[in-house]
Amino acid sequence: MEFLSPVWSSAMEGSSAKRRLRGLAGATVAIVDDNLDIPFTTRLEVLLAERAGATVRRLVKPSGTAPSPPALIDDAAQADVAVVGIGL
Amino acid sequence: MNLISERLDIEEYEEAIELFYSKGWTDGLPVVLPTPRRVEALIAHVGREPQESLGPVPPKGGPATIEKLAVNAVMGGCRPEHFPVVLAAMEALMDPAHNLNGVSQTTHMCVSLIIVNGPIARELNFNSRDGVFGNGYRANAAVGRAVRLALWNLGGATPWDTDKATLSHPGEYAFCIAEEEEDNPWAPLHVDRGCPPGSDAVTVFACEGPHSVFCYGTPEEMLHVLADSMCSLGNNNMHVMGQMLVTLNPINAEEFHRRGWSKEDVRQYLWEHARRPIGDVRACGVVHEQFRKMEQDAGRYPLRYDLVNPTTRVPVTREPKDIHMVVAGGRSYFASVLPGWGGFGGFAVTRQIRRPGGR
Repeated sequence: MEFLSPVWSSAMEGSSAKRRLRGLAGATVAIVDDNLDIPFTTRLEVLLAERAGATVRRLVKPSGTAPSPPALIDDAAQADVAVVGIGL
Repeated sequence: MNLISERLDIEEYEEAIELFYSKGWTDGLPVVLPTPRRVEALIAHVGREPQESLGPVPPKGGPATIEKLAVNAVMGGCRPEHFPVVLAAMEALMDPAHNLNGVSQTTHMCVSLIIVNGPIARELNFNSRDGVFGNGYRANAAVGRAVRLALWNLGGATPWDTDKATLSHPGEYAFCIAEEEEDNPWAPLHVDRGCPPGSDAVTVFACEGPHSVFCYGTPEEMLHVLADSMCSLGNNNMHVMGQMLVTLNPINAEEFHRRGWSKEDVRQYLWEHARRPIGDVRACGVVHEQFRKMEQDAGRYPLRYDLVNPTTRVPVTREPKDIHMVVAGGRSYFASVLPGWGGFGGFAVTRQIRRPGGR
């Protein structure tokens, strides 16, 4: 019997990650701020800058529950590291 | 017919069934095996180009081509005549207003319900009566599951990966009803939403499973219990509004109509009375408060309410029109309330069903 596959093999493959950094000192870190918990995210921003010595760029999504606009994703991709989600 | 899907050649039926499990191509239930002949029959029925795409299915973005949707529809148990309903549902789900990307990945339990309206519902034997949310009807089950399998296989929304639902609900297997249009004194949902009378349409709305409402008696008594059931503090609507669905059974609708209540009258009354004092809402905690603030900042929570005064009564939706009303179920004592995801998305979208030959 012959059957057809229900998936796209290429679409399901993840994209490759950037090279892992040795440390955050001097690195540019993008925080994709999902606009859900502003005090928490602000605290993270301060810690990354003061404790880890990173240059932080905070990119605020218009909504925490809708996809990031493509321009915001492109912007975050320019950083050495991007924080794209925070679990509480 | 030019089909481009990978072909698998397997001798044994049992081996083929197990292959779909081992590849992660099924939702946990066995599938109807998608032979080229069955898939071609669905595509031929709708007369559309196999490689036409309805767009990328979030979250992972596999293209929703007619061919891939047909493969998944066969797996879900669809016959060719069910396929136009599947395509209309997918078009509705992928409208940005529905925010399928968010619905598929939220920690909330919402699942996109498919509501079928029009003559096609009766022709294909969709259930709109006793046990409407339950089992026993191929059309509801096959169309509902076809859509879920498409989201599974093309969108990659699986619970061990991108689907972050804390609990979810059984509608993840299939969640499809039809509205009862014959035993119903009011205009059906799709006509309320702008489709011509007599047309065929699907409406999708992301919501919890149905909450039973013991609803029988005079209009005032029915409205009393419905309004109370709608404004539970546990639902998202009470905190961040959005949309909600109410189903009334044919006896409920008949009684309202007999006593001079239009559907709009009922909707307006529920909007005005399904409310809680903001003090009660605030007592749920600061996280709830933060979500409400986010919605205010995004312009989705109205500013007209004095939220500083704890006695201010706030509604479950921004406007009366955000309470969707459908007549469904048996002639009995029960209605249901289906809260939505809140203001974050999952909003109702309606699409007309394109019948073969343009009927």
